[in-house]
Amino acid sequence: MFKKVFQSFSRAFGSKDTKPSVPQTIRNAPALTEESISGKTGLPEKDVVKRDLPGRSPSPESICGINLKMPKYEIRKRLAVLYRRYNRAASSLDAKMRAESEMMLDAIVKVREKYFDPI
Amino acid sequence: MAEYVGIDLGTTLTGLAWLKSDGNPEIVPNGDGERLTPSVVYFDSHEDVKLVGSAARDGGDPERTVYQIKRHMDDPEHFVEIDGRKWTPSEISALILSKLKRECSRIIGDIDDVVITVPANFNELARKSTIAAAELAGMKVRRLVNEPTAAAIYYAHSHGVTGRVLVFDMGGGTLDVTILEVEGDNIRILTSEGARHLGGGNIDDMLVEIYADQYRQQVKAGLFNDERQRRRVLQAAEDAKKMLSKLQRVNDTIGNDTDGIARIDLSREQFEKTISRLLTRAIMLVEQALDGVNLQPKDIEHVVLVGGSTRIPKVKSALEKFFGKPPKSCGNVDEAVALGAALFAKKSARVQEVCNQSYGTLAYIVNARTGEEGVQNSIVIAKNTPIPCSMTQVYTTSEPNERRIEVDITQGEDSDPRYVDLIGRITLEVPPNRPAGCEVAVTYSYDENQRVSARVHDKSSGRSEEIAVTYKGAGILSDEELLKRGSALRQLRIE
Repeated sequence: MFKKVFQSFSRAFGSKDTKPSVPQTIRNAPALTEESISGKTGLPEKDVVKRDLPGRSPSPESICGINLKMPKYEIRKRLAVLYRRYNRAASSLDAKMRAESEMMLDAIVKVREKYFDPI
Repeated sequence: MAEYVGIDLGTTLTGLAWLKSDGNPEIVPNGDGERLTPSVVYFDSHEDVKLVGSAARDGGDPERTVYQIKRHMDDPEHFVEIDGRKWTPSEISALILSKLKRECSRIIGDIDDVVITVPANFNELARKSTIAAAELAGMKVRRLVNEPTAAAIYYAHSHGVTGRVLVFDMGGGTLDVTILEVEGDNIRILTSEGARHLGGGNIDDMLVEIYADQYRQQVKAGLFNDERQRRRVLQAAEDAKKMLSKLQRVNDTIGNDTDGIARIDLSREQFEKTISRLLTRAIMLVEQALDGVNLQPKDIEHVVLVGGSTRIPKVKSALEKFFGKPPKSCGNVDEAVALGAALFAKKSARVQEVCNQSYGTLAYIVNARTGEEGVQNSIVIAKNTPIPCSMTQVYTTSEPNERRIEVDITQGEDSDPRYVDLIGRITLEVPPNRPAGCEVAVTYSYDENQRVSARVHDKSSGRSEEIAVTYKGAGILSDEELLKRGSALRQLRIE
């Protein structure tokens, strides 16, 4: 499916330094930031800290990609992004995705309760 | 004939309301004299009858009883098999609607056109299934309306409020949060967010686990071995939940025939601790709704509670802590949605709704500045766009000599394709020997019932293709089956 998509549509996004060879492809394109290119997480995957030992269940922080050195506002932002993603995916047509989402939402809530005031 | 009728087809309870000649809505009781009908269907093994409502919930064999079918309205593969016959979620819902149509029409006259409410986060398939259920029951759906929108209309009608309102609707199976602006009779929805598995049913399940744990500790045995016994415990847990909304402590005795009885002791403190994670999820949904329209808690003038689960004191206190002011009950938390739906049937022109989901397509995105590239979900209609609407985005082909252009229709706002649903595809044949970079316009239209249709137009050849989204699966009826089964369903004995 993805290959077909690759072969059909493309859309280029750029700023002032967009190459002149593709002007028609950007004419109608809204600006896309680097942040959105990396999945709107605001956190590159390399920042995710894997502190779990082999054989142990991953911690909620690890599941959520929370770096223990992150400031609180960044943790909150990360959790909000994940919550939006997985709350939506909890209504996915794909049963596997729904199950994964429930697990993720559980981890998100555990981190939230650990780092922020209880509700 | 009843001109303006609204139905709240709920996860646990269903209600029908109509608009009286004085302009006020009123709940119409079913033939059993109940204002709300449990959304439960029982298939009797001795008589050819389908029981709907309290009789089905309280007396039948659980193996032949269908509970909370609404939770499966968005599952294309879900069906219920009874005596070798497969029933789709639409058909089960149609049995519930049929009972209401037949029995309520004896009081208010024929019911032909209705407004039906759905959770704000119901996806395209679930909305389509709801419309199918009404058609199977012999009713035409004038409009679907989101449950919190309906509740807000009722609240505005009965309390005469003006300003920015947040509706917190926690029902039996879902939580919906909607932010809207009310000005006189005019209502403008700003956004709606919803969450599955955040309702009274989930709280009941948590209490059942506490019952089972306490029983195991005392009797050293499992509390239930079959569905019938589990249902009894579930009913006891639901009763305990209601009592814990009024009392600080509840004692209960529970048991089974083989292992004896045990005394269950529950405090409100323990109950609140048990549901705290669920409430954290609920508050995060409120934050998401506010963030989606760039608002702060202080910007909300009225926080309105809808749905039976909002009777829980901890729900109220959590919202009060978050907003810094006490939330207000809409007055009739169980019936507000149906009453609002009846009002909406007449006032729909005064309500501006928005698109609850984003719709887009998968496209190969190139960031010319950073050089990054990849397949992403490219939004055509963004969430919170006022509806009805039609939006177009222009894309270009990436390969020379493409003969077929395939447009995947996505539902969801995430840019990562893994986290959106593919709900349809349009294939457009184009002439040979074309270079890369041909422009293709993709237009999505979104109607008042939140149903989407798509059109693809190849600019150089002038060819175009248009589709309405359709679904396939064991739990979905084709148009032909819908007609056939609807005709058969209307002949059934439904009590």
